[in-house]
Amino acid sequence: MQLDYLATVLLSSLSSASILLIATLGLAVVYGLMGVINLAHGEFLMVGAYSALTATQIGLPYPLAIPFAVAMTMLIGAIVELLIIQRLYGRIFDTMLATWGLGMVFNQGAVLLFGTVSPGIGMPQWNFSIGAYSLAVYPIAMIFVAIVMLTFIYVLMTKTVYGMKARASIQEPQMAQAIGIDSTRVNTMTFAIGCGLAGFAGAILLPIIPATPSMGLFFAVKGFLAVVVAGPVALTGTAATALGLGGGASITASYMSSVFGDVFFFLATALLLWLYPMGISSRWRRKL
Amino acid sequence: MFKVTGATGGYGKTTIIRDVSINVEAGEIVALLGRNGVGKSTFMRFATGLIKAEAGTVEIGGEIAPPAPAKRARLGLGYVPQGRFVFPRMTVTENIAVAAAANGFDPKATVAEMLEDFPLLQPKAGDLAGGLSGGQQQVLALARALAIRPKILLLDEPTEGVQPSIIDEMAGVLKRINQDHKIAILVAEQNLDFCLSIAERAYVMEKGAIRMETDRDSLRADKALQQELLGV
Amino acid sequence: MASEAVGAIKMFQKLHKNAGLVFPTLATILALSMAGFLDPYLAFVATSWVIFGLLGLSLDVIWGRGGLLSLAQTAFYGLGGYFGAVIAINLAPSTGMTLIWALPSAAIFGAIIAAALGYVIFFSRMGALQSTILSYTFTLLLWTVTQTFRLDVGTAVIGGDNGLSNIPGVILGFGPDADRLGPNGAFAATVAVSACVYFFTRWLMRSNFGKLVDCIRIDIEKTELLGYDIRKVQVLNFAYSGAIAGIAGAMFALWANYLNPSIFSVQEALLVPIYVLVGGLGTLSGAFLGALAIGGLSFWLGGGAAGGQTTLILGAVLVLLVLFLQNGFLGALDKIWRLYLPDPNDAARNAGAVKIDTDVLEDILKDATAHAGPAKSLSTDEAFKQFGGVIPVNKVTRDFVPGQPYALIGPNGAGKSSFLKTCVGIYRPEGGSILLDDDDITKAPIFDRVHKGMGVKNQKPQVFGEITVQENLWIAAYARTKNSANADKVSQRILGMLGMDGQSAVQASALSHGQQQWLDIGMVLCLAPRVVLLDEPAAGMTNEETRELSLLVRTLAKHTTVVVVEHDMEFVRTLEGHVTVLHQGQLFAEGDIDTLRANDAVLDVYLGRGEHV
Repeated sequence: MQLDYLATVLLSSLSSASILLIATLGLAVVYGLMGVINLAHGEFLMVGAYSALTATQIGLPYPLAIPFAVAMTMLIGAIVELLIIQRLYGRIFDTMLATWGLGMVFNQGAVLLFGTVSPGIGMPQWNFSIGAYSLAVYPIAMIFVAIVMLTFIYVLMTKTVYGMKARASIQEPQMAQAIGIDSTRVNTMTFAIGCGLAGFAGAILLPIIPATPSMGLFFAVKGFLAVVVAGPVALTGTAATALGLGGGASITASYMSSVFGDVFFFLATALLLWLYPMGISSRWRRKL
Repeated sequence: MFKVTGATGGYGKTTIIRDVSINVEAGEIVALLGRNGVGKSTFMRFATGLIKAEAGTVEIGGEIAPPAPAKRARLGLGYVPQGRFVFPRMTVTENIAVAAAANGFDPKATVAEMLEDFPLLQPKAGDLAGGLSGGQQQVLALARALAIRPKILLLDEPTEGVQPSIIDEMAGVLKRINQDHKIAILVAEQNLDFCLSIAERAYVMEKGAIRMETDRDSLRADKALQQELLGV
Repeated sequence: MASEAVGAIKMFQKLHKNAGLVFPTLATILALSMAGFLDPYLAFVATSWVIFGLLGLSLDVIWGRGGLLSLAQTAFYGLGGYFGAVIAINLAPSTGMTLIWALPSAAIFGAIIAAALGYVIFFSRMGALQSTILSYTFTLLLWTVTQTFRLDVGTAVIGGDNGLSNIPGVILGFGPDADRLGPNGAFAATVAVSACVYFFTRWLMRSNFGKLVDCIRIDIEKTELLGYDIRKVQVLNFAYSGAIAGIAGAMFALWANYLNPSIFSVQEALLVPIYVLVGGLGTLSGAFLGALAIGGLSFWLGGGAAGGQTTLILGAVLVLLVLFLQNGFLGALDKIWRLYLPDPNDAARNAGAVKIDTDVLEDILKDATAHAGPAKSLSTDEAFKQFGGVIPVNKVTRDFVPGQPYALIGPNGAGKSSFLKTCVGIYRPEGGSILLDDDDITKAPIFDRVHKGMGVKNQKPQVFGEITVQENLWIAAYARTKNSANADKVSQRILGMLGMDGQSAVQASALSHGQQQWLDIGMVLCLAPRVVLLDEPAAGMTNEETRELSLLVRTLAKHTTVVVVEHDMEFVRTLEGHVTVLHQGQLFAEGDIDTLRANDAVLDVYLGRGEHV
């Protein structure tokens, strides 16, 4: 086998694993720091994508459309937390069902607002080549975006006062209150950040994945599995599972077929759940 | 200074404490005695606001305390729960820093101060709290409570599952912080020796109510009372 | 006049009790009688609602009753559909009659697949969230695989995402030229099949098996402490729910005449919980109501299937249901109905004092010895348990033999409860061994230890709050006797001894804390244990009750091995048994209570004194 082909496969698999990780990190934050499974995560991603798309259509340059998308999704996320999620803490299955219902509403709302097809925005036409193979720059750049995002969340959650408060609130909710942390506000903030990360993902991936009302579904399903398999050490765990499962699936797909890629993903998930019923990180001694 | 009047409450539909009133003066150390299950911990949780009050008020530094625990903490109510409940996946430093920051104090300075006060924690500063031994966690929980610079400190069974050497050290520390920082202390305990070594006054609870109020000397002298109280 | 009113209330009560029988029967009759003159298109669409109701029922069995939110129901449904359809395609041309082939084979196939999945989930004792996720992953896996899965089975052609077509409709007649039913006939047949499945399920859920399923949902640990192999019950229940889903799938295949992989899609999987929630979780019949309501809504909005505006409304309905109407339509109705019925829990307030009659108790215990064999001894050898940096059980070696009660005492945090939990199997020790007579049970699961004769009462009273006092005792007695009539007898005797005859129909959750303690102890007695472990049984009891308890423990100790963890020293003194002091997870001192009271070292650790005051 040629070295250049191998390098190409590895690089593009790493890229698709990174794309999965970008799409999943918001979910990991919400699950890891609030114990909430947000089934509407995919729809927040979609809202982010449409926000960015709309912003470019009214003339905003793409780099500015991204923060706009983040702001929009954070705002919606905060409202959703105040109206729905806040009443359901500690009832994980109820939050799952409620957020799924919410996802249906968002999805159908997008169909009504934007229709089922919408114009994509062009991907920057930069390419580079490895041996005989030519690769687009933008998807490969997602590897760096994923690293930057991971670092940003890690720093936000471990080095800032807000991050410490958020972690304290999930680990011992009552003691967090007893030492003066207003957990209600911290939780609203955390959920909004999780949604904002989904919005960022939707916007940054827009050149690769065009905005459609159901675009989030694919990522939400896989991301959701990656997060649950990851377990309590949400950030590092999710990075590991997204990389392992997503990368593995992508490599399998490039040698066999995309169906086998998915089969690999789901089988590996089932196997890991069986081996580590509480998630792969349940015995890790790490902060996040 | 710290005054609870007519405290009545419990869990769900079950009322555990009825009409409990307690008063701690500024700078005083008071013990809350009684055997297991008489409602000492429930009373402590009532005072912090972690269980809903059916009746009764809590006064901290002359102010009626609002129901939210976080607001009571900011009024100067420090709490060390039974079972410690440190934040397990945060480091020792973070456990202290987050408490300071949540009440508007400088985290770095507070951590430095606490590590100086509790040298035991120094070598563990960067370790996750969940990996500490029972005694170390107890000291950390105490440091965390002190980081909010309380006027009154509530300690619930601080000696439970802690080895004797640390218990002695803790008694010394409590006396010192009481004298140096003028922090009043209410300690719920079964460990009589520990209580007698630090508290001047004690309330005795039985079946969810205060049975009597007594002082150190009469408690020390009265062996029959000791046995009866603790059911030994 | 007054007697008429009482009669009316009795009628009303009876109707309430049998609502799950009466109203579904009426609905079935109504549907069947309407089938003849319904608009054929409406009949065609309504058939799918009934099928979805059946699918919802399969989820209610495992979720509402079993406690596991399974997202694999559509997987069993789809697999049952494919399997039943393949059989129907091959056999219908020669034999006619599609139901008799398709339904049983689909049910069996669905059950086998569910049992296999259930084995993985329940035998590895997976957490609730992980179980749900695994079931979801299973459905997704099928969704992916079936896209490209191509196979010819006889005349049936499974064509990946092209689907499986040419599925015959509902044919009731036999022989090659039997006619396929029209939409109205198919509707009637579907209603009849669903009614049969519903009534059988209702019967099953009220049988002993169903009672066990309920108990596992309410308190899984307690059910295991009664000696039931909960994993088997859970797998069986899951298999049954898989069978229902399989039947629903086969009906769907015959109705649609076509299947494709979208049956395994994410949207389908998540739609099923809505049917159940709308109708009312755990009510069984609610699933049909939910499917009818949602199907009717879509029909009225003009979609036919769920799509278009319906999704929007459905999503909003789901959010509102979760927030405000947890128990769905039937749950809300039931709540209103109960307001007009006398409260059976009133009797809880008139409970008399417990009075232990030693003659009756001796009788019960002799009986138990006759059935369960002689008392056994319990020993631990260097038992060791550690949590992070804390060691609650530190190499404890001790034998407990029949004849006198053993009390474990020690200050808070000395490791008494942890030691007991290690013996019971709630904690797995990291070192050392635990023996029941000569039987090494260190690694045995909890239910197995109970089988071998261990009876356990934990610190908090563990009773099944949603069922009655009598049912609580019965389920415990049944665990040992495995015979309904004997269980009736045993539970009745214990009920009498506890002085709770008047409260037999009261829900256990309505009892006071002390009464719940007694009920829990009564359940342990129903097991006729050969070794009894009691963790702080006197907590929350009045002085009189504590005296009775002491009498009970002493009588018990004559016939079995008894170990009691207690704080109440007065109580321990009245037991007149052997006392062991634990301190920091280790054995500290032993002897009778007077010796220990005279021992200053014990007083020191108990009072936490550095030196004698």
